[in-house]
Amino acid sequence: MFEQLVDGILWDIALVIFFVGILWRIIDVLRRGTRRDLSVPRNSGVPGAIMANIRGFFPRREIAPRVRMKVIAGYMFHLGLLILLFFAAPHVKFIAEHITGFSWAAMPYWAFIVTAQVAFAGLILLWIHRLLHPVTRLISRRDDHVGAILVFLVMLTGCMALAEISSELRVFHRFTVELLMIYFPFSALMHAIMFVPSRAYSGATFGRRGVNL
Amino acid sequence: MAAENRHNSGRVRKIVLFCVFSLLVVVTVPLIPYAIDAYAVAGKQASVEKVAALENPAINLWNDVRQRNERTQGLTQVQGVDSGVLINKAGEDWRRFRVEQLVPYGAWFMGGILGAIVLYYLLKGTQMMPGGPTGVRIPRTTLNQRTAHWFTAGVFWLLAVTGLILLYGRFVLIPILGSEGFAVTASACKEMHNLFGPLFILAVVAMFVLFIKGNMYNLGDLKWFAKGGGMFGGHVSAGRFNAGEKTWFWLVIMFGSALCVSGLLLVLAALVPGREVLSLAHMFHGISAVLLIAVSFGHIYLGTVGVEGTLDSMTTGSVDAAWAKAHHDQWYAEMMNDSAAVEAADQEQGSGLVEGGVAKPGQAPGV
Amino acid sequence: MARMKFYCDAERCIECNGCVTACKNENEVPWGVNRRRVVTIKDGEPGERSLSVACMHCSDAPCAAVCPVDCFYTTDDGIVLHDKDICIGCGYCFYACPFGAPQFPSDAAFASRGKMDKCTFCAGGPEVTHSSEEFTKYGSNRVAEGKLPLCAEMCSTKALLAGDADVLSDIYRKRMVNRGASVMNWGVQFKKAGIDG
Repeated sequence: MFEQLVDGILWDIALVIFFVGILWRIIDVLRRGTRRDLSVPRNSGVPGAIMANIRGFFPRREIAPRVRMKVIAGYMFHLGLLILLFFAAPHVKFIAEHITGFSWAAMPYWAFIVTAQVAFAGLILLWIHRLLHPVTRLISRRDDHVGAILVFLVMLTGCMALAEISSELRVFHRFTVELLMIYFPFSALMHAIMFVPSRAYSGATFGRRGVNL
Repeated sequence: MAAENRHNSGRVRKIVLFCVFSLLVVVTVPLIPYAIDAYAVAGKQASVEKVAALENPAINLWNDVRQRNERTQGLTQVQGVDSGVLINKAGEDWRRFRVEQLVPYGAWFMGGILGAIVLYYLLKGTQMMPGGPTGVRIPRTTLNQRTAHWFTAGVFWLLAVTGLILLYGRFVLIPILGSEGFAVTASACKEMHNLFGPLFILAVVAMFVLFIKGNMYNLGDLKWFAKGGGMFGGHVSAGRFNAGEKTWFWLVIMFGSALCVSGLLLVLAALVPGREVLSLAHMFHGISAVLLIAVSFGHIYLGTVGVEGTLDSMTTGSVDAAWAKAHHDQWYAEMMNDSAAVEAADQEQGSGLVEGGVAKPGQAPGV
Repeated sequence: MARMKFYCDAERCIECNGCVTACKNENEVPWGVNRRRVVTIKDGEPGERSLSVACMHCSDAPCAAVCPVDCFYTTDDGIVLHDKDICIGCGYCFYACPFGAPQFPSDAAFASRGKMDKCTFCAGGPEVTHSSEEFTKYGSNRVAEGKLPLCAEMCSTKALLAGDADVLSDIYRKRMVNRGASVMNWGVQFKKAGIDG
């Protein structure tokens, strides 16, 4: 019963909400337009937009020592999760069967496990940091915690289902994934997509004003 | 007179010699039959040994099969772990250890410690700060230390719970969940245990690097042990960490390392030749885990409900002056007298506003 | 009730590996899994002997004692079987078994062994007898047809015996009597060694 629900209708609903929600959020942002900048542009906005996108991947030198842990753990988690999502053998099989129709080379099992360990370490460190650091604790909203816990649950249920021997565990993993997909468009998790236009927007604004990024 | 004396002494010597000789004869003569007997027995034994040393293929075959004299590796067409061994003796030792020792004694040990703590709490209750909190905060831990602590704690409990389910689930959970239900649970626990295990290596290393300072024993710790750590009333003088905390630190480092090494061997079983190493690793893993879990009950009790104000050092990173004065008087005096130290600690603490204090190169937490 | 046992006569086994082949073919076990193997002691030396070994279906089975999910059970015939739906592939049975009987389809790093497989005395498993599930998971069920394990049935020298323990003992005892005890024929001649009587 639960299995049919998760594999069938709930998956379809989650898929629709995920993509429609993302589209709606993007359209919403575009519809708001940009604020008119009446000043004479000192530079084109394009290089600024590109620079800001690249620059955002590295911490500023002045604060680098202080954010080192956050940067390292952040890369561990984000890269790990990205690789897991697209190159873990069960995921490749699932995506090929249910979404794309074609598949690509998957990671060997040991690389899968090591990547998961790196991603887990990063996520746990970041979440503990969020809870312990006085400033991040202050500026964290419920949304941030729910996002972190949901992603952790998705990864944990995935880890529990690693042996691929029982449908219960697989369904449990898929269920948490569907919850995450439904939650995704309406939360800060949208940064997974929005970080590019957001950096580009502020980069272009600064670029036009002649700020050296 | 002198000649007579000389003559006399000569006679005395003769008499003494005669006495000694006859004594020897009297004592040894009855022993001769025994000696002959003993000689005969020795000869017989020698001949028996000679016979036993002769080849007997039938006995030798089963000696080899049972690995009685040496580790013999037979020849077989089958490729696999220990496939040349017909009977492996080590398995039985491991089985006895697990079924007859680890499971019952581990349960009694962990349960006993937990029971003792509950009893102690019911008798003594929470140990309050003398005079109540003053409101003066003294920085105690850095953000990196707290992050490492909670990372270790989280990974430790995930591993402890999954490990305990695998050890005791057969007796506790099968009656509740049924065989199939428990199989699913156990499979999930096994995968989590194997995947999170290597993260504990990271945790132990981070704990060692970040907490080694102040955790070396000194002479004052003997007094602390002698007084039972103030368990029976009264406070014992202590520095930044008291002897109990130091012991917990070294237990975590030592048994944590044992857990990491043995766990890594078990997880990479394919690279380990033979089963003896694995069963040995399993014994170390089980003993270390049971010990650390049991002691961690005490650690958690003292850190939360046992002593008022202790938890602050791992949440906000600062403690109340009254707490410091009561439990770590030497450290308190140090911090109060040395305003520079307070300032430095304050800076390291970042007053809570600068992230992570001064990160030392190559010491990113948990890396 | 019968108590099923294997017995391998070391004086007869010629290391032909026929039992291994028969087992693999009858049960269609996966690649890398060997329910039965022949081990030769002192290969090429005086006193060379071979023995065929698989799960010995112990009365007090160590595998069952250490299994964390309790997936082993003993049939009325004294055959030790296990339930693959419950097995989690932890490998404890392999540490405990003296005979190296439990086998795993994979030995990749990070302990993904897959489900344990071992000799079933050609008695299938907990699935419905002669169902296709039973065959794919556990292999054939000859005992239900009133037949003995194929390895012993196909042994060319009748070195490997399978069946009720009492019957096996009788067969082996008769062999020993007829051989005049292998110790006397093959081993030490006690008179020459200087032992009288």
